[in-house]
Amino acid sequence: MAEARTNSVREAMDTLQEISRLLNTGLDSETLSICVRLIEQGVNPEALASVIKELRRETAALKAAERIGSPSPD
Amino acid sequence: MSKVDMKTPAGLLHSLVCRITEKKEDDVSPQFQYALRVLGSHFTPSVESDEFQLAERIKRKLVKQRREGDAARFAELHRKLQSNNVVKNRWAILYLLYNLSHGPDRPGIKITAGEALFGQGLPTDATSTPFHHVPGMPGPLRTPMPSGGDTTGSSGISSIHTADRSDPTPTPQSFPASYGPTPGITPAQAVAQRQALGNRLALSLSSRQPHLGNGDMSVATVPSGRGTASLSLRPGADNTSFELSEAALLRDVLFVFQGINGKIIKMSSTADRFLIDPKVGVPQSWRDLLGKLSELGWLHNKIRKFVDSKISDRALGLVGQSFCAALQHELTEYYRLVAVLDAQVQQDQDLGVSVGSGGGLTLRRLVVWSYEPLQRLKTLACLVDSCKGKKGGALASVVHSYMQTGDPSLRSLVKHTLNVVSQPIWEIMEQWIYEGDLEDNYQEYFVASDPTVKEERLWHDKYSLRKSMIPAFITREQADKILLIGKTINFIRQVCQDRSPLKTKAVVKTGEAEEEGDLFTRDVDGSLQQVIDTAYRETSRILLDILHTKYKFMDHLKAMRRYLLLGQGDFIRHLMDLLEPDLNKPASTLYLHNLTGILETAIRATNAQFDDPDILKRIDVRLLEVSPGDCGWDVFSLDYHVDGPISTVFTPETKIQYLRVFNFLWRAKRMEYTLTEIWKDQMTINKLLLKTVPELATLLHRCHTLLSEMVHFINQMQYYITFEVLECSWDELWKKVKESPDLDHVIASHQVFLEDIIKHCLLDDESRELLTQLRTIFDLIIKFQSAENTMYKKAEEEMNLRLRFLRRIQENTEKGKWGVTELDEEEERTRMEEFRDKFLSKTTSQLRVISQSYQDMVQNFLLMLNEHSDPSLRFLSFRLDFNGHYHQREPKLNRSLSVSYARTRQRSGKEF
Repeated sequence: MAEARTNSVREAMDTLQEISRLLNTGLDSETLSICVRLIEQGVNPEALASVIKELRRETAALKAAERIGSPSPD
Repeated sequence: MSKVDMKTPAGLLHSLVCRITEKKEDDVSPQFQYALRVLGSHFTPSVESDEFQLAERIKRKLVKQRREGDAARFAELHRKLQSNNVVKNRWAILYLLYNLSHGPDRPGIKITAGEALFGQGLPTDATSTPFHHVPGMPGPLRTPMPSGGDTTGSSGISSIHTADRSDPTPTPQSFPASYGPTPGITPAQAVAQRQALGNRLALSLSSRQPHLGNGDMSVATVPSGRGTASLSLRPGADNTSFELSEAALLRDVLFVFQGINGKIIKMSSTADRFLIDPKVGVPQSWRDLLGKLSELGWLHNKIRKFVDSKISDRALGLVGQSFCAALQHELTEYYRLVAVLDAQVQQDQDLGVSVGSGGGLTLRRLVVWSYEPLQRLKTLACLVDSCKGKKGGALASVVHSYMQTGDPSLRSLVKHTLNVVSQPIWEIMEQWIYEGDLEDNYQEYFVASDPTVKEERLWHDKYSLRKSMIPAFITREQADKILLIGKTINFIRQVCQDRSPLKTKAVVKTGEAEEEGDLFTRDVDGSLQQVIDTAYRETSRILLDILHTKYKFMDHLKAMRRYLLLGQGDFIRHLMDLLEPDLNKPASTLYLHNLTGILETAIRATNAQFDDPDILKRIDVRLLEVSPGDCGWDVFSLDYHVDGPISTVFTPETKIQYLRVFNFLWRAKRMEYTLTEIWKDQMTINKLLLKTVPELATLLHRCHTLLSEMVHFINQMQYYITFEVLECSWDELWKKVKESPDLDHVIASHQVFLEDIIKHCLLDDESRELLTQLRTIFDLIIKFQSAENTMYKKAEEEMNLRLRFLRRIQENTEKGKWGVTELDEEEERTRMEEFRDKFLSKTTSQLRVISQSYQDMVQNFLLMLNEHSDPSLRFLSFRLDFNGHYHQREPKLNRSLSVSYARTRQRSGKEF
């Protein structure tokens, strides 16, 4: 019984992963599973999406700054 | 990771933040704080959770990116997910993924921001993500950011800049994919960004593709920079002849589709078609395409004009109005298509999708897409042409004739139109066959009513078929039946004064409850027939019931037979007895009231008294028009008054026919009566006469033979009339009336009955000569009667004289005188001689003349009978001459009789 449940959970995760890939979300399986768990616990997906994007943008901005910053000393 | 508790949402969120920012757990506290705040302040999604719609949206997006295979794959995965049931919040997850999704060619996070801004700058179409339309969107600009991106806008622009540079070959195809989710931006900022973006883009594009030149860039009709972008991507080979972009032409064509003049395509009133401005440089191939496309506009105008001119025309009638409504409906559909196309053009333009490069609208694509509407409009225009000036059923017929097409889509179009068009007809029909009401204000229905017709003629004259208005899908028989149904109902209501509600509708409905919905959608199939049949049977049954029970139709029919066709023998005989003295007088001395009195007496004295008083009341005497010299017999006739519904069967015309038959029968009856009187006289007087006047013997014998001949003739005639004509026809009529399904059948069989009788009673045109011959024979009989009467009177006188003479002799002898003196004897002898010479010879010759002419007449009559086409009359002739008496006297008769006999034998074969 438990095994069957685990199987179906894995199956669901695989499916979601595939959809995520199709939609080019850029989420790896770990992040995706965290997101799924969050959502299953009732987090607003809209808010979550905006948080993820905001974080990404910030990271990207940071990295860009690093990149711009790093070659200039060269 | 290990430090964070993965069980709580906060822990999960923390690890998520770590993973995304790719930092250590301890370094992300500001971001984590921010995330927590955002999530904490928005518990419920601002969009409705509709999983199906979301899935559809994702699929559309994939298709738009030309990833049909992926779309299918997604659908499959989605199904799988649905069946799996482990994930409860499928919509939320899909929504998250959808919001995070990117175009196919841009994996990686680093250009996301730029992409997102690109998308933000473009007004998205109605089906794209609702993100931009949600005012209360959580976003970094609304919530104070603890760190980092306080100038997202500018950072976005800068990032796009970098992104553009870092990726020098952005393909235009990626534009539609780029309207993905972005954090909310206030409108003012968005506009500013867009302008900046447009400039930047134009610059970058022109710098990358310098060969396009300024000519293209400066086209005035292209409204925005986006248009330039699309323009710049046209195949370069045709460049020189393009003065106008395809997008501009498309816009023009869309105007033309609605029948409005475009900028360069205009309606030419002389050529009666849309023409492209010859001065504008448009390549020939496009001109052809535009010509094809503008046909739609022309057709649209044609239909539009028709609808506009007719929709307010009241004289057009309901059917015409529904036709216009159907056209209007089709036009609305067509407008919808134009609107969709317009939106598509707008979207393409706004998105900057290059024309001809895939997703957008092109002239060629438009030609393909407009093929079906073109066919539809063509058919409608044909309908408009052929329906002009038509109305009502005729219009429906015309529409129906267009059903004869092999194209199923066109047929369904015509069928739909036909359904709408025929709706008023069906409605009128329903009203008519169930209620008998004719609500046809525009003379569209195929049943016409003449309001001037009075009730007595309602059945015959009031309603008629308007042949031109019978729709082609209703057969003539059905139309006749429909007419009959409504007529029957009206007849019941108005003439029979029966207001009880008819149950026809209920009967029809229960009979075919399941087909009720079908009633107005089908054309010519069984169900219409069935409805008509059921309604017809039901109404006719009700009417016949009323006629039979309330109005005693059968009793009246029988009364006709008994009194007008002399079926009630004792009554007729008695009436004749009573009437004889009156009728022998000249016609001008007759008084109707005397005769009516006699008629009363005759009824009282005979079995007729047991008849229904209502019927007896209707019997009356009628005197025909008196012409000089007529005696009472010629003008007397019986009459039968009819009124109400019965008079529909016994119309004045049929009454005249009855009168003619009555006259004939009355005359024949009179002959029989007369001959009987003569026979009675002969029987009583002859013996007495012969005793005293023996010289009368020859004469009397001759009289007797002649009388016998006449009696035989009249008897056979009577037999023929009674048994071969009246009874046979009557029996047939009776059977037919009993089986009649409707009043029309009753009337028809009654008519047939009358015509049969008239024909066989020699009253029709064909037998006129025969009838004259018969009349002469009858006249001869009358003449014979009077001759005989005179003779008897004379003979009786003579007899009495002789008897007195003998008595005187006896008296004288008893007195002891001489019986007769010389003088007396002389006187007696001269008187007797005178009687013998003068009277006897005169009467004998007179009788001989009568007898001779009678013989001739009968021979002629037989000859005529033989030549008559009616076989039953030939049998009569055979019966009249059963012993060949007339054969011997007339060789011609002999021959023709034998011929006819042979013919008969041949015809009836072995029966003889």
